[in-house]
Parts: sequence; structure tokens; C-alpha cells
Amino acid sequence: MDQTSSNKPSGKPWLSLEQWRQDPEFLTFAEKEFRTSPLQSGDGVGGTARRDFLKLMGASLALTSFGCVRRPAQKIIPYAKKPQDIVHGLPNYYASSFVDGMEAIGILVTTRDGRPIKIEGNPDHPANMGSMSSRAHADILRLYDPDRYTAPKRNLQNKNRTNREIINARWEDLDKAVTEQLGKGKVALLTHNHSSPTTQALMEEFAGAFGGKIYQYDDVSYASLVEAQKASYGSATIPNYNIDRAKIVVAINNDFLGTWVAPVTFQRQFAMGRKKSTEGMSKLVVFESLMSLTGSNADKRYRIRPSQSLDVVMALLHELVVVRKSSRYASDDGVVRVLSGFSKSREDLGINVGEVAEELWKNKGQSLVLAGGMSADGDFGVALQVAANFLNAVLENDGKTIETGRSVTRGAPIGDLLNALNKKEITTLIVHGSNPVYSLPENSKFREALSNVEMIITTGDRNDETARLADYVATDHHALENWGDMQSLGGALSIQQPTIQPLHNTRAFQDSMLAWLKGAGKGSAKAKASETWYDYLNASWKTLSAGKTGKLNFEDYWNDVLQTGVMQGSNGAAGSRSLASGTLANVKPTAKRAGFELAIYQKVGIGDGRLANVPWLQELPDPVTKVCWDNYACISPKDSVQLKIKEGQYVQLTVGDKKIELPAHIQPGQADGVVGVAFGYGRNGGGSVVDGIGANAMTLAQWVDGRAVTAGLETTIKPLTKKTELAVTQGHHVMEGRQIVVEETLADHMKDPGGQVHRHNLTTMWSEHKYNGNKWGMVVDLNTCTGCGSCVIACQSENNIPSVGRKNVIDGREMQWMRIDRYYVGTPEDPDVVHQPLLCMHCDNAPCETVCPVIATVHSDEGTNDMIYNRCVGTRYCSNNCPYKVRRFNWFSYTDVKAPRQMALNPEVTVRNRGVMEKCTFCIHRIRGVKAQHKVHDTKLRDGDVKTACQQSCPSNAITFGDLNDTKSMVRGEFDSPKAYALLDELNVKPSVRYQVKVRNTDKLKWAPAHEPVPGAPHGQGHKPPAHGRAGEPLPHGGPPPPDAGPGHPPMPPHDPPPPPVPAEGGH
Amino acid sequence: MIRRSPLILGKKTYETITNDIAGLTEKLPDARYFAGLAGAQGLMIIFLLAQGAIVWWGMGLMGVNHPVGWGTDIITFVFWIGIGHAGTLISAVLFLFRQKWRMSIARSAEAMTVFAVMTAGLFPVLHTGRPWVAYWLLPYPNQRGPLWVNFRSPLVWDVFAVSTYATVSAVFWYIGMVPDLATIRDRAQNKWRKRIYGLLSLGWRGTARNWNHYEMVYMLLAGLSTPLVLSVHSIVSFDFAVAVLPGWHTTIFPPYFVAGAIFSGFAMVVTLMAIIRELVPVFKDYVTMDHMENMNKIIMATGLLVGYAYGSEFFIAWYSGVEYEVFIFKNRAFGPYGWSYWIMVTCNVFIPQLFWFRYFRRNIPWMFVISIFVNIGMWFERFVITITSLHRDFLPSSWGMWVPTIYDFGALFGSFGLFFTLFLLYIRVLPAISISEVKPVLYVGREEDQHGHH
Repeated sequence: MDQTSSNKPSGKPWLSLEQWRQDPEFLTFAEKEFRTSPLQSGDGVGGTARRDFLKLMGASLALTSFGCVRRPAQKIIPYAKKPQDIVHGLPNYYASSFVDGMEAIGILVTTRDGRPIKIEGNPDHPANMGSMSSRAHADILRLYDPDRYTAPKRNLQNKNRTNREIINARWEDLDKAVTEQLGKGKVALLTHNHSSPTTQALMEEFAGAFGGKIYQYDDVSYASLVEAQKASYGSATIPNYNIDRAKIVVAINNDFLGTWVAPVTFQRQFAMGRKKSTEGMSKLVVFESLMSLTGSNADKRYRIRPSQSLDVVMALLHELVVVRKSSRYASDDGVVRVLSGFSKSREDLGINVGEVAEELWKNKGQSLVLAGGMSADGDFGVALQVAANFLNAVLENDGKTIETGRSVTRGAPIGDLLNALNKKEITTLIVHGSNPVYSLPENSKFREALSNVEMIITTGDRNDETARLADYVATDHHALENWGDMQSLGGALSIQQPTIQPLHNTRAFQDSMLAWLKGAGKGSAKAKASETWYDYLNASWKTLSAGKTGKLNFEDYWNDVLQTGVMQGSNGAAGSRSLASGTLANVKPTAKRAGFELAIYQKVGIGDGRLANVPWLQELPDPVTKVCWDNYACISPKDSVQLKIKEGQYVQLTVGDKKIELPAHIQPGQADGVVGVAFGYGRNGGGSVVDGIGANAMTLAQWVDGRAVTAGLETTIKPLTKKTELAVTQGHHVMEGRQIVVEETLADHMKDPGGQVHRHNLTTMWSEHKYNGNKWGMVVDLNTCTGCGSCVIACQSENNIPSVGRKNVIDGREMQWMRIDRYYVGTPEDPDVVHQPLLCMHCDNAPCETVCPVIATVHSDEGTNDMIYNRCVGTRYCSNNCPYKVRRFNWFSYTDVKAPRQMALNPEVTVRNRGVMEKCTFCIHRIRGVKAQHKVHDTKLRDGDVKTACQQSCPSNAITFGDLNDTKSMVRGEFDSPKAYALLDELNVKPSVRYQVKVRNTDKLKWAPAHEPVPGAPHGQGHKPPAHGRAGEPLPHGGPPPPDAGPGHPPMPPHDPPPPPVPAEGGH
Repeated sequence: MIRRSPLILGKKTYETITNDIAGLTEKLPDARYFAGLAGAQGLMIIFLLAQGAIVWWGMGLMGVNHPVGWGTDIITFVFWIGIGHAGTLISAVLFLFRQKWRMSIARSAEAMTVFAVMTAGLFPVLHTGRPWVAYWLLPYPNQRGPLWVNFRSPLVWDVFAVSTYATVSAVFWYIGMVPDLATIRDRAQNKWRKRIYGLLSLGWRGTARNWNHYEMVYMLLAGLSTPLVLSVHSIVSFDFAVAVLPGWHTTIFPPYFVAGAIFSGFAMVVTLMAIIRELVPVFKDYVTMDHMENMNKIIMATGLLVGYAYGSEFFIAWYSGVEYEVFIFKNRAFGPYGWSYWIMVTCNVFIPQLFWFRYFRRNIPWMFVISIFVNIGMWFERFVITITSLHRDFLPSSWGMWVPTIYDFGALFGSFGLFFTLFLLYIRVLPAISISEVKPVLYVGREEDQHGHH
């Protein structure tokens, strides 16, 4: 107790010693309710302090309120309610469906944190079994296309449907206007091949409700094929083909590997017949006008003009039925009479069709004749298809290699619509998914006919050529934002499920139909009960799957289908059909053409142009010409000499009174007297990427008998003085006698696989790298690789590779990590073509690694050659020292992509900035991801766990990847097989990628081993370089080059190596 | 008896020599000089603009592409490095060999070396994709691991070679100037002038001890510099020779590059001296026709060496039997860039043959033109090596062409602006001829009776 204190301590609880002591000072202090402030202490002395305080406070209040605005609201989304199955940093995959023209394939969409970043093939879907086309990959960028409309639009049109103004529309207003209009009846619904059974059902319901009719039109039309199917078999569907069952495929102006009907499926099937390069490997015989992707893969290729297509089929039929009397039709007088009319065809062609006929007959029931396509869709188009059907029937292929197909989309042909429009029988036109104003020939007068319609509604996502004539753009979802279903030609039913909330204020076309039905108070009970299109779809599938759900109830079954993407057991068993008799009677000989013949064709990357606004596809080099960012007039080497046309020189093409101007491209292997022009260019309304590129080939097409005629039209070519430079990614097309792509005939190959490979005995002074864990390696089978370029875009999508634009490609600065080299072998008039995918070889003794001054490219203990972007200084020494030239340098900053394209970026792969080198990583992030998963689950890595993006995408299964240290792995077996060889193995860089020889099912290869290669010397009579980077080397012509041939013409045809000249001892 | 011709003309005395040389730094130059300087600086501004744009927007502005990853920058780098070699050869090697004629040109040749290396040094930095991190090529302790450079990379050897060369040359040049700087200091009328030159002359007093140390250091530095004449360009040649690329991967490169470097360096000395003799006429007494003739002889000799190397390359390419080698050399001479090869051969092998004739060796306009041709030819030699090897290598699919842009021209011609600006400033700011070395050879070759005993 404190004795010094005079006061008695209180018994209350105390806070401080002063309080306990009852210190007087404390007491006075405690009694005061308001403490003294320094300002207050002066108060009363002049009374200034308080006022100062108030002044200060007022001023500061004013200042703070003046200088500040409300803090911007930033919402963060806590994952308190975490969506099920979403783990940050791990991707989710959703099975869905993709329709492109006639092609319908299953896809798996990779999403990360709710946004799709990549489209891959669904391995469970029987149509593609996991493989992809370049276009399917590119669909992701169409979702993020900055040119998409973000809301419905209204085009204010005058009477002639010109002079419009685009205004934003609200869905409510649009629905009101449209419903009102639909009440007037006479509705026409024009759709593309959507392949969706439920959409078709809804469309039919919709059309029924408004007294309308459905028409089908695709920008790349298969009208003649369908028409001929109807004539021959009675059903207007595209048939289902089983190319894998064919021992010999004869394609007549038919690019089934590149663009025709369903190339992904066809490539996969075709590869199945090529993979085993032994007895029984399939043979591909191609008769064609242009050099197509299919033609470039031919074992035997004949050049014909488009108008000779029918002659080829008829000559084969004549040979089989009349000359050899092989078929049961030999006794059919009607048939024989028709065929006798074609007895001269063979001579006209100048081709010994007997050989082909014999091989076809030898493989009857196991052969397939595919004819027609855009580049042979002349006025003879239907006759050609009918004849081909007949030839397949003669060869007894029906029900074996050809079956009934299942075309889901049904509608009257566009010719009927045109007639109805002209007769003013249509008041309302709804256009879904096709662009007839762009793709129909001008003399169809479709555009003019549209002014007879009161209201046009389009469902696209932009004002394309058709939409700008429309009144309303009822902006549709992208497929990745929408529900749906799909049936492939083989019958497989699959689900299309959305993978992202709609990015913009768009609405599914199906929802629009439902809304309009409801607005008019019409529709079935199902439609009325469906709040959304999803409900309708779900209800339809309940019916569709009845009896197929097995033990599951529908909800579980539905979830199951959503997971796998495919309805089990829905594929195949389409049944055979029988040929109607007497169809051949309508086949008349094709009239002879004078002068040049036009052949419009599709490019593998651009196709029907639906995805043309994706820069990836514009920059995907054409598999054959290697030109990107343009269309051009393809002419044969001989014609180019005759007409004195040089590469890149503009020519004027005239058909009738229609003219277009295009730069010329001299295409080796193209038939003389033919000019080829790619479809899908010359757009006006396609988007900022595609608009203004090239010229519209359809300007030259003609509308004949309710069909667009795209080939066999007489054309005049007039060289102009204007010149341009085509963006070519490969400027030199011959192998210079080097061992790059090794070809073997099937006979040689069976005797001694890989026997044509010249191998070097290599020794080294140094100890080799040790790989104790995995050692990654890859084998590319050149025999199955078709060169389609799917892997190129797969890689681009996976690895955030920028597109650089036409100028940069011309400057030699394309960025694709994977490129496909294409070489010609033989004479320029009639060469063979080889394709070779080239990516980083991940050499064991990598020349790039030793020369990098800052160790930015290093060898991993798993055999990969890794690039460390943030260490790279950009000396480019590695690229110079790379014998394969697979490294890519960021010459400028390519990282600023137009929003929202950046959403497609893969967060697992660094976006590279300016000034650093980049290249293929062997998809190291995938390797790491798989290994991490195995580590988490304490499991062992198995062969096939890691798939690179290119491998996964390849429709031909040409790429094998895996662990070379695993002796049982598939890649090890392929790597060590005698078929395999290392490219430039004499350099002893020991690449981790090997190639397997290309086997041609033919007797003789087109290299001429007679003389030594003459490298170099012929390459430049010019004493000045061409004014540009890459384009200047069209293939030479046989014999001495024309004096004005310009630099870079080797005078002698190229030839492929049999053993290259044996070097002096010690040379290697 | 054959008399030696005098090394210095104009009946100079010790005093006039000092007045001539030190005087250059003391009076305002004439209009011709300023015109020359303005021209050089104009070019230098082009250089700065071009390189500034490239750093700002990216290497893509230049002609380099895929497959030709190296272009004007590397060509010009090697060119300037090569130029430097003659300076070292004259100042160090000829010093060790006691060649008295070197005295009057050594200083300027050495200055040329320093400025050429300075100019050259910019290019490897500026040619990188990210010049702001080019210092990563230097091995220094850092917080990134530490992460070191790749000692296997010839580019790192380059860093060492060039930085060593730059340092040794600069020190050698500077040490040589110390007595002369002291002379200028002693003549200075102005306070600041006295201070600046005083600082630069490192307290030189001219004592016997000073001279003793000086001579020792100078000789040691000469000894140090001598191997650099061989090593630097050998190492620069490794940039190419170590690569696997046909046309680069050859063992002849080190001697071939050194010979070429001396060749081009002497040509540049002749060019410079011909210009300086015009711009600063007093030089005509010191850099005499005999000097010029001597240098022209060396140009001719090294030109023959270079010509031999060209021939040898072709022979070895053929003899190796490697198809890629054979191809690349045929492509060099007859491919799309064949014109550059023939420019190179004409300028480097054929044109110097004129120096077999005394008339050409001793005629200033002729030798000036020939030296310019040699400079052009040597630039094209590096062009031929770099471009023609890269543009068509192993896989024909990746073949391409290289086309220069205005930025390439800006970088190339602009670099001359930088070099000449430095050189012209040097001429009037520093003692451009070694006063202390010229005086001892003042009487070489003069008639005995004219100067009596000494």
C-alpha cells in the first residue's frame, strides 16, 4: 500500500496507478469530459484558435471532396462458392461438336477458368477419333473475333436494299417486328448444313407454324452430288464413304483429303490404308486439273482438264464394261450403248486408262471412285456424279466402300428459293449460316431477287454480304456458346454443349425461333413447354435416346452423353442401297472447250470462307502452293511460258463479261489450259482480317440450271503489267539432290524397308548426354502425312503463336513453330509431291545450345532443347546455327492482339515479347502437366500419356511421340525401325525427331538418278537479288530456262536422292 | 651507294616539328575542316536515328529475317573490327621490329584502331533483339543464381576479345601520347588548357626516369598488343567458323580473317591519310609518299593472301566432297548474290594488283580510289560470308533472300559518320603525330653534310 498517498485509495477497479492512488491531478483530468486540444488551449485568447480550426477543417474538407472521386468499384469473385470440378490452374475439357460445311466432328474444348482456349478432337467420336482440321482449331478465334456483333442489329434499308444505316436493336423490338412480319406467312428459311437433328426438327416446326419452307444452301455447294445421288439411288443425301476399306481409290478432280465433304474423316480413313506400308497398302490414283492436296498425295497422278472429268469415268466404264466385259452390266444393252458413245474418250484423254481399270477391277468391292467437287462442278457436274455412281456400282462398291449417308439437314435447293423469290412468293426470308449473296454467281440475280422480300433476317454475327441486305441481324451465338446436337455422315449422334457464357448480347438462333413461335402463340407442346432451346433439346433427346439408355435413367444418361459427347452405338450400319437402272442414259458427252478452262477450288485453310476472318487460317500456307494471305490465278508452267506470265504478275481473267484481276501463281503439276482460282476471297463484310484480300472467284462462276457452275468455263487470260509479291513461306521447291525426304516404291520398300536411305557411320570424341529418366522423341511418318496443316494450327493454338501478317511473311518472318515443307520431284510439268513436317528436332548435340552466349537455350535431362525466353538477349546466333532453321524470332512486338483475341491465349505457355527467340518446345508444358498428375496420384507414366498438340491433331496419325527410354514404347519401336531416318544425320546432331520413308505405291519414282546433282551453279544467272525475300522461285521448266526467267531457276528438273553422291572419305 | 630517302620532309627542326603538331591543337581549323566535320556529323545523326528507331520498334526494321539472322550489323561489326588491325600492327608490331617509318603514322593509325573498335563495339549490342539486356553477355557476379555466360559460345569469346582489344589499344594509344600531351601543356597559354592537358599528361616531367619508365611501358604494351593483332580477328572469325553452317564451318577462317583485317586496315589508313593530308596540309611533310608507298605494298601483299584464301576455300569445298559445302561455294559465286562475290574478288584481288606499278603506289588520287575499293571489297567479303552462307543452307525449304532496308543503309553509312567524327575531332584535339617519336627519326635519310653530326 502506498504510504505517501494522502488520499484513500478507492475500492473500485482501477486502470492506472494514478487512479488507484486517487491522484488529484488525475481526478481533475478524469472529470473533464472533453480533453484539451492544443488548439483549444488558445481559445478565448482572441478567440482565434477555434476559428482557425474550423477554417482548416473546412478547407481540408473542401479539398478532399474536390480532389477525390469515388473509388472505382472492383469486384472480385471469391471462390467461396466454387463451381464443382474447377480447380484453379487446371483445365477442364468439355465434349462438344463442330460442323464445318459437310464435315461434322466431335471436339473437346479446353477451358480454363471458364474460358475456352483450345479446341481438340474428341477421341470418342467415330468421325474423327480425336483428330482435327486446321479450321476446327481456328474456330476458337472465331469465338473471340473482335469483328463479331455484340448485339442484334437493324439495317435501315431503302427500297433497293441499299443505302443503309446500321443501328443497334433490342431483342424485344426485334422479336416484336419479326413476329408481326412472320404472321403474314410466306416465310422462307434458308439454312446451311447445320447437321443438327433437333435444330432441323425445330426448323420444320417453325416453318410449319408460319406456312414457310426450308431451303438449304451451303456456300460451297454439293448440289450436283446430292442431285446425282437422288437420280442414282433415290435419296438426296450425301453418301457415307469408307475409304479405309478401299485398296484403291481413284479421285477425279476430287480433293477428298483437303476440302471435299469431310476431309478429316477421309484423311483418317485413308491413313489407315497407308500406315502399314506392306502388301495391301492402298493406292491412290488421281486425275485432276489443279494440284490439290489429294493430288499431291497420289501414287499415280494424271493431268486432265475439268471438262475431261466425265471422259475419265466414262473411259474407265467403257474399258470395264465394253472392252473387258467384266461387269454384269456388260450384258445391259442400254448401258453398252451409252458407253459406246464414249469409246473415243480414252484417245481424247491420251491416258492409258486400261491400267487403272485393271487395278480397279482386281480390287472390286475394295475400291472407290470419288469424282467431282468444286473444281469439276461444270455443267457436266451431275452427269459426272451419276457416272461415278455407276462406276462404283460396276465395281460392286455399294454397301462396302460407299453406304447411305445420313444428311440431317433437309431443305429444298436454292434454285427453288430463287424461283419463289422471283415470283414474289416470299415475304419473309430468314438466312441461317449461309452467305448466298457472296457465293452465288452474279447471273443468278439472287441479289436483285431479294428486293422482292419484305423482310430479311440473318443470324450471322456480322454484316456479311447477305446480312447487309437484311433488315435484322438476329446475332447468333458462337457454337461454343450454344447448345445443340449433331449427326455425322456416319450416323454418330453427338452433343454440342456451351463452354462459356455468351460473350455478347447474342441469342441462339434456335432460341430466336422459339421466341418467335411463342410470340405468335404457335408451336408444338414441346416448344411451348421449352423455356429455352436447351429445354427443347433436352426434351428431344429424351425421345431420341428412348430405348438406348440402358440401365440409366434419362438424367444420368444425359450427363453421360455430355461427358463422352457421343451417343453410343449411333454410328454406322447405314445400310446399302441399290442403283436405279437407266441413270446412265442421261449422261451426255461434255462439250469441247476452247481456250482456258476455269476451275474454282477451295483452299484447305479457308474452305467455304466461314472462318476466313481468323488470321491463323489466312497465314496457314496452302499445303501445295505454300502461299498465304491471298488468292491467285494458278496456271501451269507451260502456259506461263507461252503467255509470258511470271510469278506474281497480275492477270485478268474473263468469263463472258465478268472479269477479275489476280496475281498469277505458276503451279507445277497443273494441267495445261486450266486456270485455278481459290474460293473465299474478295470479301466485303467478312471482317477486318479477310476484307479486301484477293478477288471473288465466284464473280466468274455461272448460274446454270439452278446450280452454280464453278468449273470448265471458258476463260481468257490477259497478262497485265502490274506485279505483286505473293506471301510464300517456302521459296525453293526442289531438294537439290539432298537426302531430305526419302521415297521408296512399295516393291522396294517391302524388300528392304528404308533401303534407299543413305546412312552415315558417325563417331564422336565426346561423351554423350545421359538421360536417366525420360528421353522424349518423336517419329513422323511421311507415308501417312498428307501435309494438310492441321498440326500447324494446332501448334499455333496451343502455343500462343502470333500471326504476323502478309508483309512479315513476305519478309520471311512467319512465326509458326511447325512448318510443312513441300518439295516437288520430277519435271515441273508432272512432278510428284512430298510433304515433310518440320519442327524443332531437339537434337542431342544441339548446335543452337553451344552458341548461345547467355545460356538461353539449354538441354534438359529429358532430351528436350528448352528455350528460356526471359534470358534470351536475341543474338539470333542459335537460329543461324540451326541446320533445320526451325527457330523463330520476334522481330517486332506481336503480343498486342486485338481484344478479345487474347482470351484464347493458353496460360501454360509464355507469351513471348519482342526480341526473343522461340521454337517448338515438344509441348513441354504438357509433359510437365502429365508428370505432375502422376506425381500427385503416385502413378507411373505410361506410353501415350503425353501427346503433343500436333500429334493429337493429326488426322493421319502420322506423328508418334513418347519416351525413347521406354523400350516398349511405340515411339521407340518406330524410332528404331529400319524405315526411320534422321534428317541431316551426317551432321551428327542426333535429332530426337526421325522420319519414316515415304512409300509410293507405284513402279517407278520420279527422280532421275542418271546425273549428278548440279547444286548451286544453275541458281543465279541474275547478278542482282530479286527485290524480295522468298517468292521468286517458281519451279523450272524442262529444258533450258527462258532467258528472262529471273534469278533462281535451276535449269534441270530436280531429283530426289537415291544414295546421294558418296562423299570423299572422312567427308562426314 | 643508295641513299635512304628522308622520313620527314620540309627541312624540319625540333622546333618546327613541335610547332607543326602541337600547333594544330592550338589554332582554329579552317573551313575545309569544318565542312568535313559537318559531313561526318550529319552521317552520325543518321546513325543515331536509324539505331534509335531499331531499338524502339524492333530488329524487324532491318533486312534480317529467317533464315538470314545476321545482316548489316554483324557485317559492319566485323568490318570495323578488321579496320582496327592495321593500327595495332603499325604501332605495335612495326615498333617491335624497329621500323622507323612507322613513327609518323603510328599515332593516327592507333587512333583509327581505337575509334574503329568503338564503332564496331556498338553493333553487336545493337543487333540483339533486346539491347537493354545485352550486358548479360558479360560474366559478372549477379543475383540471378548467379547465372553465368556460356563459355562455349563464340559470342562470349568475342566479348572478351573485343573488350581486351579495346582496352589494350586505348591504353597503348594513350600512354604513347603522354609526352606529347605534356608538350602541349607546356605550350599552353590558357589556364583551362593547361589544366586539361596537365591532367591528361599524368604529371610528365620529361626526366630521364620518366623516359626510362615510359620506354619500358611502351615496349611492354607493344608486346601485349602484338598477339592481339592475331587473336582478335581469329576469335571474331570463330563466330563463323565454330558454327555448323556450310560456308562458315572452315578452319581457314582465323588466318584468312587476320590477313583480311590487316588488308582492310591498311586500306583505311591510306584512305584516312589521303584525306588528312588534304584537310591538314602540314601532314604532307610527315606522312610522305614513302609512307604511303610502304602501306600500299602491304595492301598488295595482304591482298594476295586474301586472294589465296578465296581460292583455297573453293578447293577445300570441292576436296571435302560435302555436297552442302560444294553447293554453298558455287552459290556464292554464281547464285543470286553472285554479284557481291565478284565485287569482293574484283575489289580485293584484282584492283590491288595495280600496286605492282610504282606509279599507282605513289599517286595519291589513284591510291585513294584503290583504298576505297579495298574498303568496299572487304565490307563485301563479310557480306558474302554472312549472307550467302545463311541464305541457302541445308534444307532448301528454308532458303530465302536478304534485302536491306533504309535502316540497314542508315546503320552502315551512319557508322562512318560516327567514326569520322571521332577521328576528325582527334586530329585537332590530340597530338596527331607522335612528336617524341618523330624527332629521333628527323635526320634519317638526310645528307650528312646538311645536318652535321648528331
